[in-house]
Amino acid sequence: MKKLISILLTLTMLVTMTACGKNSAAPSGQGSGAENVSTEAPGTDKSTESPSSADSGETDLAVTYPVTVTDQLGREVTIQQKPEKLVSGYYISTSLLIALGLKDSLVGIEAKADSRDIYRLSAPQIISLPSVGTAKEFDLEGCAALEPDLVLLPAKLESVIPSLEELGITVIAVNPEDKNLLEEAVTLLGTATDTKARAQELLSFHDKQLEPLSEALLNTDAPSVYLAGNSTFLSAAGPKMYQDNLIRQAGGANVAAEITEDYWADISYEQLLAWDPDYIILAADAEYTTDSVLQDPNLQDCTAVKNRNVYQFPNAIEAWDSPVPSSILGSMWLASVLHPQEYDTENWKQAVTDYYETFYGFTPDTENLYKKAE
Amino acid sequence: MGTTNKETFRPPAGTNHAARHRRLLCLGALLLLLLAGLLSLLVGKYPLSFHKALTGDGIHRQVLFTLRIPRALIGLLGGFALGAAGYVFQTVFCNPLAAPDMIGVSSGASAGAAFAILFLPASAAAVTVSAFAGGLLAVGIALGLASLAPGRNSGSIVLAGIAVHAIAQTLLMVLKLTADPDRQLASIEYWIMGSLNGITLDKIPFYCIVCILGLTGIFLLHRQILLLSVEEPEARMLGVPVGKMRLLVLLLATLVTASVISLTGVISFVGLLAPHIARLLTGSNCLSALLLSGLTGGLLLIGADVCARSVALAELPVSVFTSLLGAPFLLYLIMKKTGEY
Repeated sequence: MKKLISILLTLTMLVTMTACGKNSAAPSGQGSGAENVSTEAPGTDKSTESPSSADSGETDLAVTYPVTVTDQLGREVTIQQKPEKLVSGYYISTSLLIALGLKDSLVGIEAKADSRDIYRLSAPQIISLPSVGTAKEFDLEGCAALEPDLVLLPAKLESVIPSLEELGITVIAVNPEDKNLLEEAVTLLGTATDTKARAQELLSFHDKQLEPLSEALLNTDAPSVYLAGNSTFLSAAGPKMYQDNLIRQAGGANVAAEITEDYWADISYEQLLAWDPDYIILAADAEYTTDSVLQDPNLQDCTAVKNRNVYQFPNAIEAWDSPVPSSILGSMWLASVLHPQEYDTENWKQAVTDYYETFYGFTPDTENLYKKAE
Repeated sequence: MGTTNKETFRPPAGTNHAARHRRLLCLGALLLLLLAGLLSLLVGKYPLSFHKALTGDGIHRQVLFTLRIPRALIGLLGGFALGAAGYVFQTVFCNPLAAPDMIGVSSGASAGAAFAILFLPASAAAVTVSAFAGGLLAVGIALGLASLAPGRNSGSIVLAGIAVHAIAQTLLMVLKLTADPDRQLASIEYWIMGSLNGITLDKIPFYCIVCILGLTGIFLLHRQILLLSVEEPEARMLGVPVGKMRLLVLLLATLVTASVISLTGVISFVGLLAPHIARLLTGSNCLSALLLSGLTGGLLLIGADVCARSVALAELPVSVFTSLLGAPFLLYLIMKKTGEY
């Protein structure tokens, strides 16, 4: 009960804060007068909504349709009524919809859903839903045949949006490539699907965990960390990537911080030996194993290999090293690896249990965090 | 262009002066190549000290002997092999656009590599072996099909090669479609882009031996290769078993190409550019052109690799630089020598 009250309290505080954020965002929607004609109702709706939100949270958390949102491609999208049938063409938006409690509204999802453990654990029924294709090959007709009220697509699929709109389908593009964009995406989906309260809760989970984490790591030295990518061991996460932030939150220093690439950068063995990291951390979905790194004859003189400090992100539930709402759990796990004295594993085990019980409705097995070898 | 090419195949200009010129060219190219090889030993991400490496400091020694020297070696040998193989293809087919890729070796190797990335247990050795097998298999099928065709002329080899190339490309596309876009697809794409980054001592011995054997064969047969480029009846008259010899020579060229690209991934342009540069420089098509094709290829690849590992903090695909370095030089030579080519 106490927990509930504290959550409610945080919520009200957050609401007041986000109300401010919204005020600053609102003019962009209203400033362009041309749109105002077509979307007059939501425009006026917003302006009446903002002042009242300060005194009571409830009015702000409820969404009045039609509502206009700006998606992550900067498009203004008006949603006429609360969407009942959802299609998601991207695993991050699908995972978000489950967290927002909308798994039963899904009528179609992206391809290869059977490879996502989080679906199997939290919403096994969606795995058998019709697939609308991958980020490379979107199935326009198949999507239209599902008659969705709202389709969520990754920004990569920008090119198919006009065709879908011609078919009269409402589309929202998401682009959760870094922490801020992910938070924006959570709020965006919350607004579009009338699940704002849940969205706020999801966001506050992150902040609630981050604070004690940063406190625990306050006076620690930052060991150097090399985060190796999914496809090959010799691909590094540069400073602009999500993973860089994750390492910093865990009290580590990214050895690849000097790289200028936006995405995974190919490096050489020589480069890695020159960086000589204290820890080598493998991406959750890595195609190779920690053993293959430990036994690599070219790495025997690397500090991390010598001290056997080679670990892989847990991967049995979700890839915490990718931009998913649960990625704070990744920082917490990594902190317990880098700073076992200051930050105990129990810290994140409890958080993992809380998170998946609250948002995904299942109890994770925190003792076995790795996929069993096939 | 074919006819002008054939003119250059006439008995060499014959004067002592021209022969000495070609010898000097080859010698110069060899020196340059050795210098480039030395340079590539000096360039790298690790702050290597040769003194420490030679006096037995563990990590310096390791970097020098297991990473840098093998990489330089493959740059030299691999570039040499690609250039020489390109020379063989262009000469045998009397076609300035011919390259080892033409009859399916790179698309076969790519499909082989993609297959290994998707279905075999993750290891660099598996990918290399599978790429090698894929390249040889594709060319084997192409040559086998061509030998079934009546007439057995070089035209049917080209056509069979194009068909096999198309099939291998389709196979590659199917494999890419089934790949996981985040992991496997990226691996496949990186492999196809080609790089000398992954080369370490433990991977190279077998492929180096295959490559050197193939090159030896090509150099021993250089007279026959040249005769294959003249009209077929003429060649027969000169005592060359045309059909068999063509198969053998193409197989040797494929073998050396496959042994290189299975280690490095597809490397574009070296096989196409190097022979042109060599012929433009020597003005003939004899042994010195073959040698110079190889030396130019080696220079191109090692130069490109030095750039690929040093211009950015990340490793770049080597093909970017083989084309960037080679294409302007080729254009320059063409502008200068239009009359002769």
